[in-house]
Amino acid sequence: MSHEEEQKDLVSHKKAQKAQERKAFRTTIADDDLEAAMEGERQELERTWARPTGIRGWFTDTDHKVIAMRYIKTAFVFFIFGGIEAALMRIQLSRPNNHFLSPDQYNQIFTVHGTTMMFLFAVPIVTAMGIYLVPLMVGARDVAFPRLNLFGYFIYLIGGIFLYTGFVLNTGPDAGWFAYVPLSGPAYSPGKRVDIWAQMITFTEISALVGAIVVIGTAFKMRAPGMTLNRLPLFVWAQVVTSFMIIFAMPAVMLASGFLASDRLIDTHFFNPAEGGDAILYQHLFWFFGHPEVYIIFIPALGFISPIIVTFARRKIFGYLALVLSLISTGFIGFGLWVHHMFATPIPQLGQSFFSAASMMIAIPSGVQIFCWIATLWGSKLNIKTPLLFVLGFFAIFVLGGLTGVMLASVPLDLQIHDTFFVVAHLHYVLIGGSVFPLFGALYYWFPKWTGRMLSERAGRWNFWLMFIGFNLVFFPMHQLGLNGMPRRVYTYLPETGWGTLNLIASIGAFILASGVAVFVVNVVWARRAGIVAGANPWKADSLEWSIPSPPPNYNFHNIPVVQGRYPIWQMTVDAPVVRGLSTTKRETLVTSVMDAQPELRFDIPGPSIWPLMVALGATVALIPGIFTPWAFLVGAILTGAALTAWFFGDPNYENKTARETGERSETVSRTPELQPKEV
Amino acid sequence: MTTRAVIDVTELPRHEFDTYDPVWWGNNLLLAIETSMFAILIATYFYLRQNFQLWPPPVAQLTATLRPLPELGYGTANTILLLLGCIPMVLADLAARRGDRRTSEIGLVICAICGFGAIVLRSFEYSAVYFRWDSNAYGSVVWFMLGMHMLHLMILTTETVLLAIWIFNREYDMKHRVDIVTVAVYWYWVVAIWLFLYAIIYFTPRLG
Amino acid sequence: MIKTMSTTLHTCKRLVALTAALCFSSCGGIQSAINPAGPNAQSLSRLWWWFFVVCSIVFVLVMVALLLSLRNRTRESSELVAPVLEPPAEAERRRRNVIISATTLSGITLFVLLVVSFSAGRSLTADLPHKNGLNVDVVGHQWWWEVRYKDVDASNIFTTANEIHIPVGVPVLFSLQGADVIHSFWVPNLAGKKDLIPGKINNLWLQADKPGVYRGQCAEYCGMQHAQMALWIVAEPQEQFNAWRQAQTQTSIPPASDSLKRGQQVFLSSTCVMCHAINGTPAGSNIGPNLTHIATRNTIGAATLANTRDHMAQWIKDSQSVKPGNKMPQNNFSEADLQALLDYLQSLK
Repeated sequence: MSHEEEQKDLVSHKKAQKAQERKAFRTTIADDDLEAAMEGERQELERTWARPTGIRGWFTDTDHKVIAMRYIKTAFVFFIFGGIEAALMRIQLSRPNNHFLSPDQYNQIFTVHGTTMMFLFAVPIVTAMGIYLVPLMVGARDVAFPRLNLFGYFIYLIGGIFLYTGFVLNTGPDAGWFAYVPLSGPAYSPGKRVDIWAQMITFTEISALVGAIVVIGTAFKMRAPGMTLNRLPLFVWAQVVTSFMIIFAMPAVMLASGFLASDRLIDTHFFNPAEGGDAILYQHLFWFFGHPEVYIIFIPALGFISPIIVTFARRKIFGYLALVLSLISTGFIGFGLWVHHMFATPIPQLGQSFFSAASMMIAIPSGVQIFCWIATLWGSKLNIKTPLLFVLGFFAIFVLGGLTGVMLASVPLDLQIHDTFFVVAHLHYVLIGGSVFPLFGALYYWFPKWTGRMLSERAGRWNFWLMFIGFNLVFFPMHQLGLNGMPRRVYTYLPETGWGTLNLIASIGAFILASGVAVFVVNVVWARRAGIVAGANPWKADSLEWSIPSPPPNYNFHNIPVVQGRYPIWQMTVDAPVVRGLSTTKRETLVTSVMDAQPELRFDIPGPSIWPLMVALGATVALIPGIFTPWAFLVGAILTGAALTAWFFGDPNYENKTARETGERSETVSRTPELQPKEV
Repeated sequence: MTTRAVIDVTELPRHEFDTYDPVWWGNNLLLAIETSMFAILIATYFYLRQNFQLWPPPVAQLTATLRPLPELGYGTANTILLLLGCIPMVLADLAARRGDRRTSEIGLVICAICGFGAIVLRSFEYSAVYFRWDSNAYGSVVWFMLGMHMLHLMILTTETVLLAIWIFNREYDMKHRVDIVTVAVYWYWVVAIWLFLYAIIYFTPRLG
Repeated sequence: MIKTMSTTLHTCKRLVALTAALCFSSCGGIQSAINPAGPNAQSLSRLWWWFFVVCSIVFVLVMVALLLSLRNRTRESSELVAPVLEPPAEAERRRRNVIISATTLSGITLFVLLVVSFSAGRSLTADLPHKNGLNVDVVGHQWWWEVRYKDVDASNIFTTANEIHIPVGVPVLFSLQGADVIHSFWVPNLAGKKDLIPGKINNLWLQADKPGVYRGQCAEYCGMQHAQMALWIVAEPQEQFNAWRQAQTQTSIPPASDSLKRGQQVFLSSTCVMCHAINGTPAGSNIGPNLTHIATRNTIGAATLANTRDHMAQWIKDSQSVKPGNKMPQNNFSEADLQALLDYLQSLK
């Protein structure tokens, strides 16, 4: 064929393609204007979803991506603080009879370390991953309750600042991160130290509950059409299970800390044995929350692992149903374990046996997940990049931690190793191995999506190996230390005990671990400016967040996609089906049914608002001065109520009328009768 | 990658009742949280009870060893009031679904009055319990139960009043009709929780 | 590929051996749960080894499976590989069967461990009321142990602190309580731990099969000096124990010389009597440890310091420098008074 004929063919082929598109869009707009119309829509969307600027903008921006990044950065700062506290402890314990820290300093530091890591780092950061990624993975333009989401962030931030203000002023809590009574009660912890702890719990627990409501609302109701529950990404499943666990577990700690605070401030007798109260009641209430809490930290990390493995193994996940059922059953069984923290108390043996059995059985769903992931990796040509490296690290560390957990599940064996450094080793193996390593993998994996740039692979490898080796050096010897009789929470020990060598090794390991984290920080700072530019899908992954630009536009999706399978991008046809009809001049997203994601509503997404901050400040007035006088609760309640009223009844951004009432039509597309959504 | 539209959602409404609307989910998740809290509070009540031979414990200053059972008067009146208050709320609920503005308005107002009445009666209920919150563990847990529920009564009444004010002065549109149905669910929940608390606080001591 | 695999394995083996050597180097010693000296701890130590072996095997198997799944590593960009959404059914079925077997095996293993655990647990609690060759009450205080030996014969009851003597081969039943906050009684060579909870009574029996000194430590964070709340259990042959017990039931030896009398006078006229009891004198407070036979104890400050004259002097003058935050105030005695007091205290055998 001659060149001109080829050209003619090409032109007519293009024309035919355009005609197809025009037919597909069922639009009457001339073909050359189609691209312009799309671009025009995009610009309108940019304007409609524009983020507020300036200082006021920082306080009112409800974009879930902005809020999630704030959570992640804030939580990471707390992670560094917690790490510094750990380093100080390791220096103190590196030699027997050391005088680096006074007993009071040490006791405050280990309390604040645990409290920071559990409440100010782990839960917020895993929730934040959900807040960023769940809307993108399900095809929504924002979360279900954006202003509530913003409120959640402020209340978390204030709680964290509150704790650290106390700590810096030498009135940090010093009764341990779970603050058992009677030690933490009014008689044995005078002053405001424990009150600060108890109130900080209130702040962070409200934040977690809010995050849970937001995630469930989004995952259930805002999915793109075609994303039935059967096609829900495992990341989202993990976030949903976690959120339900938060809903049912947090009230217990609310009561535990509430009773403790009221015992201390207004002389109630919940935990005072002299007046019929019970010290063990506190332990039940705390651990009924406390055990699910560690699964709340762990299960989202399981959700990070699945997509990373799928992407790198280049195949569908093995055992989707088994993985979903494992997540759900882990969540359920997690509520039936809490007494294993109390085996040394005089709880009747029959009761203890039940919890011992449950604590062992929970290893089974975790095991199923491990097996399914190995099956997915098996035989695949794996190019092991940093995200996968961290996932492999998870396997090694978490499985070991889980096995020591099986040991702790045995009542008699627990009576030897409970409250010793063996437990310290176990909990760090499962939490750091089970949650922090997958988290780092996830940060490397999704950093390109959030920022548009790749993190350095080379630095990533250094990051991983320093952390992996450092971690094992710190915590493996602690198993031996516990067996050798070293209890937890001791600021020093005698030389005759012989614990010095292993402690020294652990302390050296701590600095190696810390240097690994430092490499990460340097990597992030460098990559933001000089990392390789990532396109929309640098990993050639399968889920919807990779179908939009990096970083995503404020409105996430120009057109809500119609999902065709569990692996949307891999299963997408050349001309991808999308939803039309959502406004470009008002903030809207699509609400669909829970089971089958059938379109149901055009949901208004509220724009920026000052009221979440105001409600958070009102709550602060109730809670912080509340540790000095009960009247603060009254004043704070009134302020909070006023702010809530303004939030719900005063927001002008809310559009109240239905589409029918306004007679509104989408301008670029005319309706075709056969494509009516299901009648509601 | 090209796209083609296969679903047109222009005609979809913005709000709908029940599970269609995210507000339903948000509200019910909040209620799930509070239900868990009350369930654990009730468990605490029974747990503490195990520490006592007599429940409520005897009052020290009386010459005879008296078991001061909580007096039934205010509590029972409150229960009846709350149950009766369900009627206008059901009417307002159904009216909102139908789009009947007048009935909704009247229903909300009557409910608000019932709410105020319940709060007043609740204030007297504290004195029907012989002990203060700082007397002993029994007093602490019973005051806490009454107090947490009272907090909900206050929030509920405030919401009802504000919604009534809005309905009277502004639009009776779909969003606020959905809000009325949401508040109704909250009302039913507050009453249902109270029935459990009422039975437990006032009757379990009487059962021996 | 194979070469790098085998060198990796070799390195791993050496690392494991090194780590194991390092860890097990401190395998014995006092206060070790895997150095049992009695039936209770023996049973637990055996249980530990069972669990350790089984869990180690599981760990190695999982790690081997993981490493094998990494056989097909490549440095090529994985984006070039088309994702497989329809893997071959045969292979998928094989994987499924392997996983089902592995899961079943895991369940069975866990069940076996559970049964082994239950039976060990039962041996610890079975027949508890009859494990009372000796009955001892222990009350945990911030930060010392009050020890009361009980007996049907009231004249055999006495109170001491921080050091518990028991006869070898006799089961001792401890009744544990907390006076202020929660503590935990733990002597790893002899038994697991039990918590001392205010308002509750907890029971623990243990037995020493060999004479010796077994160190224990509080294992529940109880405040400022939790780290220095230790105790000694001294197991001795029956005759020696009887002699010790006999001596402990006596009231304090009255001061014979002038110096001793002066020492007693110093004791009785200063703040010491606010907290410490010495039987046979007007000092009867039980806020602090009973000092009636203080000279027979091997340590002071709850096993923090050896009981020598110098240590005692340091403790009396400024216990805060040894155990900051403990409830004993500093004392400013004149040198003569202090020496007399020390003489007196050292005479309280």
